[in-house]
Amino acid sequence: MVPVPHRAQLAALVPAARRVLEGLVTAWAAITLTFLALRLSAGDPVASLLAQGATTPARAEALRHELGLDRPLVEQYTGYLAGLARGKLGNSLYTGQPVERVIASQFPATLQLGLASLTIAVLLGLLLGTVGAWSGNTLPGRVAPALSGLATSLPVATTGVLALLLFGLAVRSAPRGDPLVTFGRTALPAVVLGYAASGPFARAIQSGLEGSLRAPFVLAARARGVRRSLRLLWHALRPSLPPAVSLIALEAAFLFSGTVVTETVFSRPGLGRLLIRAILQGDFPIAQGIVGLAALFYVGSQVLADLMALGLDPRIRRAS
Amino acid sequence: MIFPSSRLKSILCLCLLAAAAACGQAGTQEGGLRYGLTLAPSGIDPHIHASVELGIPLSSVYDTLVFLDPETGQFVPGLAERWEVTPDGLRYTFHLRQGVVFHDGSPFNAEAVRANLSRVLDPENRSQRALSMLGPLREVQVLDEFTVALDLEAPYAPLLDSLSQVYLGMASPQALEQWGPADYQFHQVGTGPYRFVEYLPNDRLILERNPDYAWAPAIYRGSDAAIDTITFRFYEDVATRALALESGEVDVIGELPALEARRLAEVGEFEIYPVEIPGQPLQYFFNTQRPPTDDPRVREALVLGVDRAAIVRTIFGEYSPVAQGPLAAVTLGFSPRQDFGGYDPEGAAELLDSAGWRPDTQGHRARNGDPLQLLLIAPNWGSNPEVGQLLASAWDALGAQVELQVAPGFGPLNEVQQQGEYHAIGMNTFGSDPDLLRPFFASDGFFNWSGYRDAGLDLLLDQAAQSSTSEDARLALYAGVAGKIREQWLILPVRDYVNLVGASRDLQGLRFSAQGWFPYLIELSWRR
Amino acid sequence: MRRVAVPRLALAWLALVLIGALLAPSLAPQGPFQSAGSPLSPPGGSHLLGTDHLGRDLLARLLFGGRFSLGASAAASLLTVLVGGSLGMAAALLGGAFDAGFRWLASVLLAIPGLLLAMLLVAGLGPGLPAVVLAVGIGGVPGYARLTRSYALQLMQDGYVAAASSLGAGSGWIALRHLLPNSLPQLIPLATTHFAWALLGITTLTFVGLAGDPSIPEWGVLLNASRANLLDAPWGALWPGLAISLTVLSVHAWGRRLADLQGS
Repeated sequence: MVPVPHRAQLAALVPAARRVLEGLVTAWAAITLTFLALRLSAGDPVASLLAQGATTPARAEALRHELGLDRPLVEQYTGYLAGLARGKLGNSLYTGQPVERVIASQFPATLQLGLASLTIAVLLGLLLGTVGAWSGNTLPGRVAPALSGLATSLPVATTGVLALLLFGLAVRSAPRGDPLVTFGRTALPAVVLGYAASGPFARAIQSGLEGSLRAPFVLAARARGVRRSLRLLWHALRPSLPPAVSLIALEAAFLFSGTVVTETVFSRPGLGRLLIRAILQGDFPIAQGIVGLAALFYVGSQVLADLMALGLDPRIRRAS
Repeated sequence: MIFPSSRLKSILCLCLLAAAAACGQAGTQEGGLRYGLTLAPSGIDPHIHASVELGIPLSSVYDTLVFLDPETGQFVPGLAERWEVTPDGLRYTFHLRQGVVFHDGSPFNAEAVRANLSRVLDPENRSQRALSMLGPLREVQVLDEFTVALDLEAPYAPLLDSLSQVYLGMASPQALEQWGPADYQFHQVGTGPYRFVEYLPNDRLILERNPDYAWAPAIYRGSDAAIDTITFRFYEDVATRALALESGEVDVIGELPALEARRLAEVGEFEIYPVEIPGQPLQYFFNTQRPPTDDPRVREALVLGVDRAAIVRTIFGEYSPVAQGPLAAVTLGFSPRQDFGGYDPEGAAELLDSAGWRPDTQGHRARNGDPLQLLLIAPNWGSNPEVGQLLASAWDALGAQVELQVAPGFGPLNEVQQQGEYHAIGMNTFGSDPDLLRPFFASDGFFNWSGYRDAGLDLLLDQAAQSSTSEDARLALYAGVAGKIREQWLILPVRDYVNLVGASRDLQGLRFSAQGWFPYLIELSWRR
Repeated sequence: MRRVAVPRLALAWLALVLIGALLAPSLAPQGPFQSAGSPLSPPGGSHLLGTDHLGRDLLARLLFGGRFSLGASAAASLLTVLVGGSLGMAAALLGGAFDAGFRWLASVLLAIPGLLLAMLLVAGLGPGLPAVVLAVGIGGVPGYARLTRSYALQLMQDGYVAAASSLGAGSGWIALRHLLPNSLPQLIPLATTHFAWALLGITTLTFVGLAGDPSIPEWGVLLNASRANLLDAPWGALWPGLAISLTVLSVHAWGRRLADLQGS
């Protein structure tokens, strides 16, 4: 007989493994979808290159062969997957550069923006949710939930342009090269995107906190005369943190598409600008690479969120 | 009122600051110059690619056989100390300067010249500009170590002008051989006052001073570069250019919008350099092979029905003159006698009526039941989208139904043009020799986007290219070319290009070459 | 009191926007494509909302822009509701393999963030407003289909559906005669909220430059064009920004109110 603890641990791994497997299948399907969507809706890239003067009729056949366009769709697909496994995503139609190199060069900027926005989203969500629940009927207590509600509904494009406008007007009279202004200008996109992403956090924190503030132990403490201090807040906040933490993983998708708009509004380099330029120029390998990467990222973060929920919730662990 | 305590607030503030700090280094650059470029080209090999952007940094990486003095318009020695031309104009012999060394240490000699020109002539390399600049060049012969002869099939007046441009700059044959045609653009080696350090597409290009530079041509004021490092970055988005200059992100940037340039000039911290660019003006070609623009009366109406002066004033402020022909006014060969007319909407309406395009009760014109429909293609550079919008609305007022498409780059523009469905398409190129018109107006010209074929025009263009007699004779021929273009209303000229360059007042010595776009980086220094 | 005030304001704004869009030719002082004054002139005088960088009247651009933005969003929403609604309902009714396949496909499609899926479609089709409408329409299908399916499933648990099928009624008949009319109360607020999503999607895609023709006065295009002279002429950004934001918020508010009115 296998001892119980060992068996429980093993059994706990099964749903996790299943989830990962599901994630892999979904990721594969998403990549396939990306591949098909482009191949089927787009025209002939070699004809496009010919028309652009980027190749000669003599070389066109050779180019077609290089790009694998003379093979049946299924072969092209398997070739694409094989390349993907090796980390090769094809070459840009426009500059001939390997797509993975181009994406890698723009990735850090987007990653920076994404991480900073995520941090700000969490902190802002924490602030707004806490104020909303803690301060109840006072002015800040009503303003905070309204702000977090607006955060989700307002398009990033409009809040971004507004922020750019207000910031620009505010620093117009500042001396050139002032470090605080430069810092502010660099931080602004993350603040805008972070605000836009803070809605779900704020709501989760607020409802969780409201719930736990009515919990018996809190009421008992207050009946004993304990003031609504920071310590009480912390204890009331703790139970609502784990679900908010799993939200972080889910926010990843929003942030990825959010960076596209934010990079355009603030004219920052990054994958968003790269994607738009690729779409306008008809550079399919790059568009495909970026959207595929985004899908992988999104699926990965969903799997991570589910795994964390599995890991954090003792009930699920015990039940397995 | 209970509000999260001040301690919590300060912790939150610190976290926020940390987060914001994580989103990018505040770009403090030590020393060095930051130069803002605009559209990122698809490639920066000067022998192969045609964009103007690549010339801005690379004109200082390469020297050319001869240089064109922007002030006198004369050719002065460069890598060639002196040269002779045979009376029939078919052989140019260059005596090269000795002791010139490439950035990688290899020597510059006649063999290097041969290797470079062969590279351009090789059809496999698909040279987009340099090849056509060489015209009827047939063969390059090495006569001895420092003497090289260029043999032409026919006399070619623009040859020296071509050889003075970065597209025919001299690169190290060793490096060309080592890297191959695709990768060479990332490892460029010349003989110029600046060395090529690195290029990350769409991101940055870095040059550093060449300390061994000892063969500056006479036109450079100064023989030694003062600035150690120059970093070029791309600012495709027009909205960001003035901001980049104002915020201190760059020290120099070109192609500022007119309204922004005016504002910056008034601020006082910046200097605006309006540089007139020779070559073609911002213009639109009419498709003579497709109705309704196959009718010269319609073409004339479409030009007269547009208030070109108002368009130029609205978009370009007072900085740009209205274009009056196929060449900008500052170009060699410009003929002031052509008159493309002012704004005459009644005349335009009469012309359209006489061509059979009559308006209905709502003002929409049609002929035999077919509505007057126009497809207008605008490139995405030089405020063309804005010009396109105003052209479309002007033609709309004349009674046409206009569809405007903006091509997001030269490649897509070319592609749309090949489909042949346009009625008007915007395109222009720059250069200091009027022979640049030939690909656009010769019957078999590569850029003959108006589709006009006329033996008389071909003859004029060929004669002007081959003319090695007096400059006046050549100018007269180009006046004839302009006359024919105007007679047939092949183009709608909009404005002569004026590049508005903004620079910090601390920078001095900013001066541009005869082609207008390319700065002499060697002359730049900081005001102390 | 506040509960009713917000939806009332929202309704007033939506009515204003709709009337403005429908009566644009009569209300606008000039056409939206003609250069009518000096560029970037501030609001006031003959140009109530000012002019843009090409001298075009901003009030006209805003009113006609309503036609483009609202019309495009309506078209995209219609596409989503019809296609997504049918698929969802079919999956609920037919069950079995079709339903399993549908669920799997939907989860795969939802693995790609909606905006990026739409951008991918525009990448293939080429930039232009019709492509954007198609892309946003198709991009909303998986999510909407899934929601429709769950509503349909809920309804199917009601007795009358079982009764109808035991009387020999076919799936199509059940769908048309029973499910559709009875799910409308839930589907209408859903469609309303979806319209807000479509408006957001369309204005975002046109804002980043995928609309092709820069002269159309669509609100996202206007917002983007205002960036070039943002500090000198902030009103150029203010009007389209307000139009988009207030309309999205109003539609959301009305979606919530409709859901409230249906009861839970």
